[in-house]
Formats: sequence, C-alpha cells, structure tokens
Amino acid sequence: MDTLAGTEWDVIIAGTGLAQSLLALSLSRSGKKVLHLDQNTYYGGSEAAFSLDEAQDWVNTVNQHPGRTPFEEAKIFTREQSQETADPHPKLAASRAYTLSLSPQFLYTRSQLISVLISSKVYRQLEFMAVGSWWIHSQESSQTGSEELGATRCFHRVPGSREDVFADSHISMKSKRALMRFLRHISKPKDDEDSSEAEEDLSVPFGDYLTSKLDVPQDLQGPLLSLSLSQQTLQNTSAAYALPRIKRHLTSIGSLGPGFGSVISKYGGGSEILQVACRASAVGGGVYALGTGIQNLTDGGSEEQYPVELQLSNGESVRAKSAVGSQWDLPVAQTQSLSCAKIARSITVVAAEFASLFPVTTEGAPVPVSAILMFPGETLGNPQSPPVYLQVHSSDTGDCPRQQSIIYGNVSVPGLEGQTLLECAVDRLLQAEGPHAVVLWSVRYNHVGHFSNDGLPPTIQTHSPHVYSFPPPSLDLAFEDETVDMVKQAWLTVAGGETDPDDFMIFDDREGTSDE
Amino acid sequence: MSDSTGANAPKPSSSVKLVLLGEAAVGKSSLVLRFVNNDFQENKEPTIGAAFLTQKCTLPSRTIKFEIWDTAGQERFASLAPMYYRNAQAALVVYDVTKPSSLTKAKHWVAELQRQASPGIVIALVGNKLDLTNEGGDVSASPEPESESAGPDGDEAAGEDGEEHDATPGDARKVSTREGTSYAEEEGLLFFETSAKTGTNVVDVFTAIANTIPESSLKTGRGAAGSGQTALGGRSGEDSRVNLGDRGAATAKEGCAC
Repeated sequence: MDTLAGTEWDVIIAGTGLAQSLLALSLSRSGKKVLHLDQNTYYGGSEAAFSLDEAQDWVNTVNQHPGRTPFEEAKIFTREQSQETADPHPKLAASRAYTLSLSPQFLYTRSQLISVLISSKVYRQLEFMAVGSWWIHSQESSQTGSEELGATRCFHRVPGSREDVFADSHISMKSKRALMRFLRHISKPKDDEDSSEAEEDLSVPFGDYLTSKLDVPQDLQGPLLSLSLSQQTLQNTSAAYALPRIKRHLTSIGSLGPGFGSVISKYGGGSEILQVACRASAVGGGVYALGTGIQNLTDGGSEEQYPVELQLSNGESVRAKSAVGSQWDLPVAQTQSLSCAKIARSITVVAAEFASLFPVTTEGAPVPVSAILMFPGETLGNPQSPPVYLQVHSSDTGDCPRQQSIIYGNVSVPGLEGQTLLECAVDRLLQAEGPHAVVLWSVRYNHVGHFSNDGLPPTIQTHSPHVYSFPPPSLDLAFEDETVDMVKQAWLTVAGGETDPDDFMIFDDREGTSDE
Repeated sequence: MSDSTGANAPKPSSSVKLVLLGEAAVGKSSLVLRFVNNDFQENKEPTIGAAFLTQKCTLPSRTIKFEIWDTAGQERFASLAPMYYRNAQAALVVYDVTKPSSLTKAKHWVAELQRQASPGIVIALVGNKLDLTNEGGDVSASPEPESESAGPDGDEAAGEDGEEHDATPGDARKVSTREGTSYAEEEGLLFFETSAKTGTNVVDVFTAIANTIPESSLKTGRGAAGSGQTALGGRSGEDSRVNLGDRGAATAKEGCAC
C-alpha cells in the first residue's frame, strides 16, 4: 500500500510542531491509528530548526506564501566580503554545520515537559545542556577594576540566589538588603502569609510593586524583571505575572543538579525534542508524511464512524474519526478571537565564543552552553521600548561549529522598529566582546503567536464536533507548561473515554530497548 | 560497591545512533534481529511502523551502545528517513545480493546521506542474503572481503570471485561481490556481505562500524573516565551534559551498580 487513502485513521494530526508531535506520540502509544501530516517538507512547523540552506529555502517560502505560516518579513543578511581585516579567519562553515531554531525556548528544570519526557522514556534520545547565567546590559560600561574580559564589560550578572547576592561586588549594601528582602518574600510559602499580605494587590505594575512594597531600588528592578522573562516594560508587566515566574526561576535552580535552573536540548532545542517525539510515535505505529497539506475538510457529523474527510494536497482523500492541527495547518475559519501578538526575532551567527558569558558559578555545576542577556529599553536609547532579550548559544549546543556562537534575539515590537532594537543590542554585545567578534550571517523575521501573559491561558479550539486546533505558537523564551496541559486535553478528547487521565505519557519500555 | 578496584573499572561507554536504510524486503529488520537477539525468523512479516532497538558492542577500549532506528515500512512516504539520519553517527544501507534493483536503491540512499546527513557519518553498505548464493550459508567461513583488508590471495574458499558464481546453477546471486566492493571503495563506505539467516558477518558489520566511528564524535556516557583527553581550550562539551536520568531514576529502577 503506497497510498494513505486505504486506511481509516483514528486521528489525523496536521503540523509537526511540538504540541502536535507530543499529541501524536501520546495517541500512538494509546493504540490509536495516527496519520501525522505536515504541509512543509521539514519537521517542526514554527519550532523547526534549519541548516543555512534550509533557512534560505524557508525565507523564500515565507515571502512567497504570506499567511501560510506564522512568520512574515523574513530576510537573510550575509557578511559582505570586505577587506578591512587581512585576517581570513572567521568564515562561515558548511550549511549543515548549523542548526538554527526559529523559536528557541529553554526548559525550566521543574517543567512538566521534562516530567513527560522522562515518563515516556523519550528523554533517552535527547541530550540536555545547562542554561547558565542571566545578564543585564548596563550603560556605564568598563568601570574600574575591569579584570573581566570580553562581553561582560557591559553586562552585570543577575543574582539568582542568596549566595549570588552576597558574592556580588556591584551592588550596594542597601540594595543587597532590599534584594534579600525580596527573595525572602517571594520564597515564603503561601500559607505562611498573614491575611493582610495575602490580599496584596498584584494587578499593579511590577515596578510599582517593587518600589512601594519592598523598597527595591530602581537599578535592581530591571534585573528582577529579566528573571521573569517578561517581554514588556516594568510598567506594563503586572506583579501577578512577574512574581510566580521569578519564583519558578529561583526554585528551579539546583533541582536537576547544582548551579543551573534550566536546560536546552542539544542540536536544535525544541526541534530536536519534537523530532524525537515523532520518531517514538512512528515506533508506536504512527505514519508520517511530510509535504502533504490539507486542502479541504468536511466533518460529516456523529452518525458516521469516520466522519472527517480530508482532501490532501497530493490528490488523495482520507477519512478519520477526528482531526487536530493549528489554524495554519487546517482549512478552518478562524473562529477564535484569541489575541495574536507579533514580535521581531533575529538569529545571528557570530565568529566569537563569548567565553566570559558562560562561567561555572557553583562547584560541580556543568559548563553552561547558553546565557540570557536582557537589554532594558532605556539602555538602547528608548525608555518606552520593551526589553530586548538575546539568548547566546555556545558551540556546545551543537547549533554551530567551534569558535562560533549563535545569538537568538527577540523583542515584542515587530517590524523595522523591533529589528533596529535587535541590531543595536547585538552590536553592543559584539563591541563589548572585541573587534574579532563579527557577524557572519543573520536572518530577521516577525513571528506571530501569543504571550503567556496575554489574558486567558491558551486552550484547544473546537471547530466542528471532530475537528480541533491548537492556539497560535508561544512567543515566550521558556517553555510554558500550558502546552503540556493542552496536549493532555487534546489526548483525552481524541482518545475518548477509554483512557485514564493518570496514564498520560507514561509508557513502559519496549522489548529490546531497555536502558540497562 | 561503588569503588571498583582498577582491574574491573568500567570501560568508557558511548551511544551511537545508527539508522537502517534500504529497499523493502532486503532483510533490514532481520539483520538487526540477528544482531540484537541472535535470532532469525523465516518469512518474517514486513515491519509495520518503525522500530527502535538497542544493542551493546564491546570493543577492547570501550563499549558502544548502538541505538538502531529502523524506518521499516514507511520509506514510501520518504518522511521518516530525514528525521532518522539527522545527527546519526552511522548508517547501514542494505541491499539484497539476489536483487540488482535493491543496489540501485541503496546507491540512492548513500547519495542522500552524503548530501543531507551529518558530514562525519559512517556508512556501511551491506549486501544481505548471502545464504542464497553458493558461498553463503556456512557460518565458519567468515572473513568476507571487506573494502580495505581484502588481500586478494590470502584465504581459500570465500571469495572475491563472485562473478564466477553468477554462472553457477542454483546460485541466486545477481550482484557480484566485486560490484559492491568497487562501489563502496569509490564512495568510501564500509562493505560487507552478510546473511541474517545464518549469521555470517552480521556482528562483524557492527563491530567494524564501532571501530570506524571517530573518537571525537562519540558522546561519552555517564561515569566515563574521559580524563586526559580534554580538547584544547578545555571546553570539551562532555562536562556540560545534564543527566535527566537522575531524575528518572527515582521512578525507574535501573539497577546500576556503580
């Protein structure tokens, strides 16, 4: 059988993003006949990772077919062959030496996704590396006593623990006391709070909260905001958003080993995780066809056993009990009024190692492979602007060759304005690192999706009795557990009554594959 | 218990991701079954879905754990293979020595791997179903000609004279050993002829792959004694791995002694 049409499928999943791939895995291991399609010829949807050549193809497709994917205005910049330096050293390596993620996300060590990867045994196919320090850009660069070399001349390490606060030589005693007060306050168990504190108003801006409630000086508010990963200014971030996220950051440190609180998967982050999930789904019986879109969809109602009929782009017609995708994978009307945000992203290949950004700060900790840099708007000459985040990946991530690094940038301002901010931030970093740090290649684009602080948590949309879709992709820097909840919800919906919710993603070893 | 004394200190152990490619019914799954379970099933059903198996291979200096990915049954959609050979360190491309078209397909796979897979991937070309030829079958007559070591005179029966056998009645061979060897030499592949049915050369294929994979592309597993061979610059990559198994160990009893 060389055709997809002969089989009747329990479920057809369209798109191979992380959510769909986890769903495919969970359903295939629940004994469902799964057909997993993607209109693209690559895995990952908006979480894909590319070589340089694949990135070029992707840029062409994005610009030729606007609206087909949640991306727009993609453009590649390559370094002009200028002769300002006689040194021919920095060179772009072969296309395949790079794995560039369209939406790089790291995982907090207490994330539900990590639990799911462990209980499903999928983690054995993955290699995780530690995300290290958070840094904040400061304008008053190169102070006295700058034995620190390289990029850290213009950045302060954000203290992430009490030990860090004590050890920090940049902050005053008064600030240290305020920070300790904050850390104490945030790590206090809920039931310990007396009633007056429990009723504190968290809808206020995070900056106001820090000033009025805890007397935290201005210069420490930016660093604390960076721990929350908020992509809004201090004024536009509510305390209700920031506090639990900072708490997540602090409590994650050490839970999987000393000195780090979050991890990334080697060779392309989320893209690697979702491909491992698809492989495991295929082992469970799932059938995969890339380059196969859905052109038309009808839901025949509940009388039929296989009510959903799909016309595929290869001319075939297939039937299934249900279909799940995203609004970019299914030909369904956008019923939801779910607010979509748009951010600017850039990926920059740099000939520099930024070794000073990856210190081992705790004895016995793994060497970090990623660092998070935050540029408050005022440091880029625009106090109104939301912060710019740069995630620097060392070559140990497998994303690029040795002696090079990848800088993933994002800011919640789309288009030219956002790209200008990103470029400015990347320039600052390169200047601080030194003249040898040059850009070899970069791509810039807008990404459409949603933020975790945008109103209600995302949920599955029901289009017709047997057709569902996932919401737009997450634009957050860290993986948000809401995605796992959604996958579980979809799994329960599609698998029907025969499943025990507690069995979600808990699989035994298959014969011949134990890890003994 | 925890302190092992010198002699039986564990060897460094590494995982190797290996992907299995080739036309349908050339015996891919049977090769793996022979390697992993030392077993063979006559008239085996086509593999449905894909398969994943693991097997260890012990070398003098280290232990290699093969993670074998079999795209079985889904090659027709050409959608699994790219994901399978992504970051794979080794590929086994299999054809059937009684079916010339399967060698053509094998060449396509080799070309695709050379174009798309990791630059350092070790590719072994394997002509299976040697038992259907005249020289096949007897397990003892092992050392089949291999690309490099093939000293043309050395050994007696087994041989570099496949073409003569082509003519022999009762011999189903349609692809000569020489054809396979010369293609493998051109492309820089390891080459073996095997029989999953009798076991001839099967373990040898995997041992040869294990020996060929460059030290630098081996990720060292936990508890490995990687001292002394730190890469220049000191960032060897191995000291940055995070072991999720530690968190998993709480639930799964993996019974690791050391």
